[in-house]
Amino acid sequence: MALISVALGRLAQAFLLLLAMSLVGFLGIHSVGNPVFNIVNIETATPEDIRNATIALGLDQPIWHQYGVFISNVVRGNFGTSYIYHMPAFALVISKLPATLELACVAMLIAAPVGVGLGLLAGRQSGTVFDRIVLRSSVFALSIPSFWLSMMLILAGAILTGWFPSGGRGATASFLGQEWSVLTRNGFWHLFLPALALAIPNIALIARLSRSGTIEVENLDFTRFCRAKGLSPRRILLRHTLPNISMPIVTIIGLQFGGMLAFAVVVESIFAWPGVGKLLIDSIQLLDRPVVMATLTFISVTFVALNAFVDLFHAVLDPRVRLSS
Amino acid sequence: MTCETATPPLLQVRNLSLRHLSASGPITILQNVSFELGRGEIVGIIGESGAGKSTLGNAVLGLLAPEFQRTSGSIELDGRPIDPMGGDGDAIWGRRISAIFQDHTASLDPLMSVGAQVQETILAIDASVPRQEARARAVALLARVGIPQPERRYGNYPHQFSGGQRQRAVIAIALAGSPDIIIADEPTSALDATVQKQILKLLRTLVDDTGISIVLVTHDMGVVSEITDRVLVMRKGRVVEQDRTAVILDAPANNYTRSLLAAVPRLRLSATAGKGQANGNASISTNVGEGNTMLLVAKSVSKTFVRQGFVWNSSRNKAIFALRDVSIKLPRGTITGIVGESGSGKTTLGRIIAGLDRAPAGSVTIDGTQFDVSKNGRRSGLLSRVQMIFQDPAVSLNPRMSVGETLRESIRFGASLHPKEGPADAATMMDRLGLARSLIDRHPHQLSGGQKQRICIARALLAKPQIIIADEPTSALDVSVQAEIIQLLKDSITTQHMTMVFISHDLAVVQQLCSSLYIFKDGQVEDFGSSDFVFSQSKNPYTRALIDARPSRFTC
Amino acid sequence: MKTEILRALKKRPYGQVLTVPMIVLATYILLALAAPVIAPQNPYDPLQIYGWEASSSPGTPGSGGYLYLLGTDGLGRDILSTILYGLRISLVVSITSAAIAALIGLTAGVSAAYFGSWVDSAIMRLVDLQLSLPTILVALIAIVTLGPGIDRIILALIIAQWATYARLVRSVALSETNKSYMDAARLMRLPTSRIIFRHLLPNSIAPAVTLIPIEIGHAVALEATLSFLGLGVPIDKPSLGSAVANGFQYLLTGQYWTSLFPGLALFGLIASINFVGEDVRRHLDPRSRPV
Repeated sequence: MALISVALGRLAQAFLLLLAMSLVGFLGIHSVGNPVFNIVNIETATPEDIRNATIALGLDQPIWHQYGVFISNVVRGNFGTSYIYHMPAFALVISKLPATLELACVAMLIAAPVGVGLGLLAGRQSGTVFDRIVLRSSVFALSIPSFWLSMMLILAGAILTGWFPSGGRGATASFLGQEWSVLTRNGFWHLFLPALALAIPNIALIARLSRSGTIEVENLDFTRFCRAKGLSPRRILLRHTLPNISMPIVTIIGLQFGGMLAFAVVVESIFAWPGVGKLLIDSIQLLDRPVVMATLTFISVTFVALNAFVDLFHAVLDPRVRLSS
Repeated sequence: MTCETATPPLLQVRNLSLRHLSASGPITILQNVSFELGRGEIVGIIGESGAGKSTLGNAVLGLLAPEFQRTSGSIELDGRPIDPMGGDGDAIWGRRISAIFQDHTASLDPLMSVGAQVQETILAIDASVPRQEARARAVALLARVGIPQPERRYGNYPHQFSGGQRQRAVIAIALAGSPDIIIADEPTSALDATVQKQILKLLRTLVDDTGISIVLVTHDMGVVSEITDRVLVMRKGRVVEQDRTAVILDAPANNYTRSLLAAVPRLRLSATAGKGQANGNASISTNVGEGNTMLLVAKSVSKTFVRQGFVWNSSRNKAIFALRDVSIKLPRGTITGIVGESGSGKTTLGRIIAGLDRAPAGSVTIDGTQFDVSKNGRRSGLLSRVQMIFQDPAVSLNPRMSVGETLRESIRFGASLHPKEGPADAATMMDRLGLARSLIDRHPHQLSGGQKQRICIARALLAKPQIIIADEPTSALDVSVQAEIIQLLKDSITTQHMTMVFISHDLAVVQQLCSSLYIFKDGQVEDFGSSDFVFSQSKNPYTRALIDARPSRFTC
Repeated sequence: MKTEILRALKKRPYGQVLTVPMIVLATYILLALAAPVIAPQNPYDPLQIYGWEASSSPGTPGSGGYLYLLGTDGLGRDILSTILYGLRISLVVSITSAAIAALIGLTAGVSAAYFGSWVDSAIMRLVDLQLSLPTILVALIAIVTLGPGIDRIILALIIAQWATYARLVRSVALSETNKSYMDAARLMRLPTSRIIFRHLLPNSIAPAVTLIPIEIGHAVALEATLSFLGLGVPIDKPSLGSAVANGFQYLLTGQYWTSLFPGLALFGLIASINFVGEDVRRHLDPRSRPV
């Protein structure tokens, strides 16, 4: 019962968030340049042409009306047609999705085990040399701007050594009707550097958070009581400490996955990885309003959905939420 | 216990000295502590904060933090030395020595069902037990410690248990490995008096039935008097006295023990003033006659807390009554007690009268002026007529303001609302409350708990309120300091003919201070009357239960 | 006076103040302040830039009479000078935005905690809204909305960062509000302003202060990222981020210096700020665990 009410509450919250997001996004994009000049040639267009184009795009309507049209379209998954690619904006975003998704997943598959492992080890022996090394290097890792990290990876991994390609998606294989790089050897080779660029700061972040989670749980009274009641350290770790730490760690990993989608914007632009992030930046620079809106909405929805999913997962794991009242 | 026997005692601590290695150098925590524990015996270790009693408990348990260091002495179990740092833990924990800690909530893993936590302990001690049998034994243990319907509650999680039940479950876990000794560190301090009494009774029955031994660490003379066979009195890391409980209570040899005992408030059940007691414990009921007009009348105050379900799902919101139709009267110039266990609504009422919290229904009349308690206290004008003295002096003073600034603020702002009486100065007030004038430039972190509470009293008095509400003002303090603060409150209130509400869970203190009292239960007034009447003649079953829950030793 | 200073120094031995990150950071700040004096070239002055010397490798002597110690970029600007001037922009942008964001966050957080009810809900809904999205995304949306320019980027960073302060300060202020000394202050019927400024604020400010260095570090990185994406500072006045971006296209042709050196400077700056930030937090709030 409690679970359902958590779910309903979370859903309503997510919906409000999205509404607010869409309003901000709509107003934002509205103030960036006049998109009419994307479909008419500024040099040759007559005022007549411009007027027609404005009407065709619905830009002559009052702004709240445009927003209403926009929202009703969004609900139907219709963000309009890209001014540049001349195809439905939402379909365009979806077509770029597999690339971003496989990048983020591979990055998380690197970051989560390494980060959690380092964090657990450092937390269980906090204060030791190993702990201090993990803490220090994590500060360094978090201090590298992700774009520069990407460039240096290209410099070291591609230009100087020639081990990896410097950009692009490489060969792909078809699966579930989509093209995936990760399935081919060449594609995976292309994927490796950008995934590493995304993973490195996340390894540091996950390591730090799981370290502090570990220390917190180890200091709780029940771990002391578990020792006094005669449990072996192994059992305490596996049956008590780990389940309790897993709560914050699940949260971190879920949220960082969303963070990766956001940071993919930077990494994809540098590695010319044709994903959603690169599409966003290109569209901002080309004033391709429908695509920018569709992309931002899509990233926000994904993020909000992830948030909600993490909360629900939390509720399932934690009997205090699952069985409340 | 004095003569040498052929078999060594179950547990023997010999000349144990420990120090704590901190950044500022080693500090001695225990010095030459010796005691022994026989089978089927409960030994109490009593002392005020800083006595080293918990450290001693942890040393026996082998759970000392690595910053501790043994400088001399030994701990022997059945004549064989054991390591206070836990080096022999695998052979001892759960099997020979187990533990009960104060915080029953923190002792249990919130993510595992209570039954499973008992079962895993049984399996950890003896892996050869089949799981089904371990489960059956766990159910039996839960039944043994008095958890009703143990088969049904087996799968419940800790948060679904009440505080007392959680502590029972902790006891069940401690018993799971059939240990010889249980170290119980303040096992009942976090519980209400009535529950405390039941848990102590359970511990005593377990000892009598199974022959287990208990080391009971506590600050509470009442707990010691109830169930221990022998007592160690500790102070600043040393044992100042140890003897049979009856001897310690009746004929203490040591001055410190005597002062500890004297500081324990006693409840008198006979209406007549009876034999004269130390500290002039006679209640101050004489003032009631003089001006029987009521200074404050609170009528039908109700307040509910809404426990929120989740947003947009209001049908799940639950209204819980914090106060239900509560009315009280405060006669001018007297001290009125409000007694209740946690969650009884006593603090809530105090805060409403003071104007700090709102109540949707009811009214408060002070000196003939009626105030609308459904309004913000600043707007209704109620705020500043009442001053409060709070429970925890550690958070009652602004850490960034010196004592002088705090007191001057009270004179400048609090007292300015009642100009006719003219402000008293901070220094005189400090003298009167036994505070050195040199403290005036100190900040709270440089003061002891007792000093802080005196400053809080000074602050309240300097604001010249019509009424003072003291909300458990001594429960965060050591016993010896408690008695001083009570005396101080009593003197300041009576000499200045002020009116006070004294909120407490301790019947004896209330009797000592108050001319009349109200007993609260679940947000309602359960019983009320003059102190004499309530304690000697009230037939109310809840009042009787509260009185019975007190250690009989300190009730006469 | 002299003895006081001596006593203060004894209480705080050199080791605590003069850490390596602190020295590095101080050097950065001095270099930024002295940029016009020590930089070999003014990269904003077209008259000092020689287009035919574009993409010179490090160590090439230039016709301006100075050595291109770290080489030149694709427009012929001396990399070292670009770094020194870019440092000024990065620091000004990040410090200004972090300070203003802290001030806004502090006010919002304390108000939310003290006034409660609708003030609290209004502020915290907004905060939740923002914090449920990654900072980089909020900054991106803000800068897309606001358009380019240094003032705009400062504004975008403030928008992206104030919520972090607000949430932290509110949670601290809320726990302070629930302490008895706040009740005592209310019982004295102190003026609201005195309760806030004398009692609540002084006790809630410490965590916000400890957050500032860390958020300055974030701001430097955010500004650099936005500038790198071409959404930040104008091209003719490069910050460290846009200096790296300018070098991106030359990276593939092996002219590593145009992006390596500004990036290295940026990395050193952020790292030193982060380490100092951690030290500050450890000293001001010994209970806090590093996160």
